[in-house]
Amino acid sequence: MTEKVKKKVPIVEGLFTWPSDQPALIASRCKKCGAIVFPKATYCPNPDCEKNSQNMETVQLSRVGKLWSWTIQYYPPPPPFKMEPFKPYAVGMVDLPEGLRVLGMLTTTENLRFDMEVELTVGKLYEDEEKEYITWMWKPVEKACKK
Amino acid sequence: MERDVAIIGVGMIRWGRYPDPKQLDVFPDKTMPEMAVEAIAKALSDAKISWRQVEAMVAGVYLWVNQQAGIHGILSGTAIANLMGYTGIPIVSVANACATGQSILREAALAVASGECDIALAVAADKSAFGFFRPQSTDGRADIDYMRFVMCGETNPAYWAMECRRRMYEAGTTEEDLALVKVVTSKPAPYNPYARYQRSFTLEEVLKSPIVCDPLRLYEICSTSDGAAAVIVCEYEKAKKICKKPVYINAVTVGTPTFGDPTVRLTYLSSYKKPGVPSLSESRNAVERVYRMAGITPDKIDLIELPDNSSWHYLAYLDCILNLNPGEPEKMLRRGDLDPITGKIPTCPSGGIGAFGEAVVAQGLAQVCELVWQLRGEAGQRQVKKEVKYALAQTYGYAGNNAATILSKGW
Repeated sequence: MTEKVKKKVPIVEGLFTWPSDQPALIASRCKKCGAIVFPKATYCPNPDCEKNSQNMETVQLSRVGKLWSWTIQYYPPPPPFKMEPFKPYAVGMVDLPEGLRVLGMLTTTENLRFDMEVELTVGKLYEDEEKEYITWMWKPVEKACKK
Repeated sequence: MERDVAIIGVGMIRWGRYPDPKQLDVFPDKTMPEMAVEAIAKALSDAKISWRQVEAMVAGVYLWVNQQAGIHGILSGTAIANLMGYTGIPIVSVANACATGQSILREAALAVASGECDIALAVAADKSAFGFFRPQSTDGRADIDYMRFVMCGETNPAYWAMECRRRMYEAGTTEEDLALVKVVTSKPAPYNPYARYQRSFTLEEVLKSPIVCDPLRLYEICSTSDGAAAVIVCEYEKAKKICKKPVYINAVTVGTPTFGDPTVRLTYLSSYKKPGVPSLSESRNAVERVYRMAGITPDKIDLIELPDNSSWHYLAYLDCILNLNPGEPEKMLRRGDLDPITGKIPTCPSGGIGAFGEAVVAQGLAQVCELVWQLRGEAGQRQVKKEVKYALAQTYGYAGNNAATILSKGW
């Protein structure tokens, strides 16, 4: 607690914008057909679209979505998953306005409801001497805030 | 198919954990190629043919323990042939996740149907009992399975539980329904000598078992097991000559997803939804194709073996197989329509994957073995009480794999 603030780094780079006050998931969008892929992909997944990497542009996904479903994971998953100290956590699937349904941990296991609004944030899973290792998480939005 | 194909022999070993230090007399030490050889030997004996008569072989490849046993740990088909004795036949090794069993049955059937050969063997063995539900690499950039596991903490049961929770919300599935699945599927388990867990469960026992990933409880989720199974197929006219009860393969096929399916299936981090594309499309595509190939509709199915990896799977795959709306399988279950022995549509008379535990690549063949015994009337105390014309087996696999088979009496 008395130590200086450790640098926060994503466990895997390139999945969300970081560092950022408003982190967003990074996806690919096909300029021809509009299909969106998360994480980023080299080719459009639409079977009717040409496989030309030039068609794919990098986009940031909406930061607010609706919770489609969730569970609470009560036992620690085996390695390579790491959370210190382990405590039961929620995993959810979130529907975004772009038509994407995205997986992610939730910041809480309490008062979760179907189709509630959740917002993208980051949270720590573990740390070492120098760094805190973070991932993206979905955080319930208390009041509907439409932007 | 160009030429008709029938099953002339099946064999499997008891599902379990090889070795199980606590029950070495029941589950002794065995390597995967050894397990495969045992299953093949039983299938050959069932068909009353010799290894030399097998003209092609397809092996299910297990992907997860190669660090323990090298090339034999992925069970390349030629490792099995090395133990059986090389005869120079075509051998292909296939990996389609949990749908591997019936994917290799399809390859064997196609080899015969095409006229390449008259007798072909599908064999799969795997050692899943020590666990495989985690990524097998630490490649943070390219391994999407690593990403979903370390970044999202999504275990396999967590995926099942999320789908299950939404089903409860949309279809009104109750906790009792989920527990009832285990009660019903485990009824015939005491009578299956190949099942790992030869016992049945009460509603109270299931409801008292600890929650693993809510809403799913421990007894509503299958374990992981070791297992091996083999199926021998033969050109139909020849099959009728060498065997009294050839089981006719009406259709066997593999399904993969449709672009736009909303399912965030295992190993993936997202899905891109398109209006009108149904969930679990790999299953619906396999099932739709297998009905079309067989020339029948879902109402003609008399007997089902499905992948009851969890109570959610049982209900969701009945939707796919019988083309039902979510909620209907729940009603059928409560009415007793799905009783594995006495039901209108007996489902999982083997005891299901719940009684066996998941032996990933072998389970699709184990389902086929059970249907063969049921069609031949050789299932003993778990023999279904109705006359069976068409029997269906279906298995899904992670990452968009599925396979389905329709069988009937060929005599």
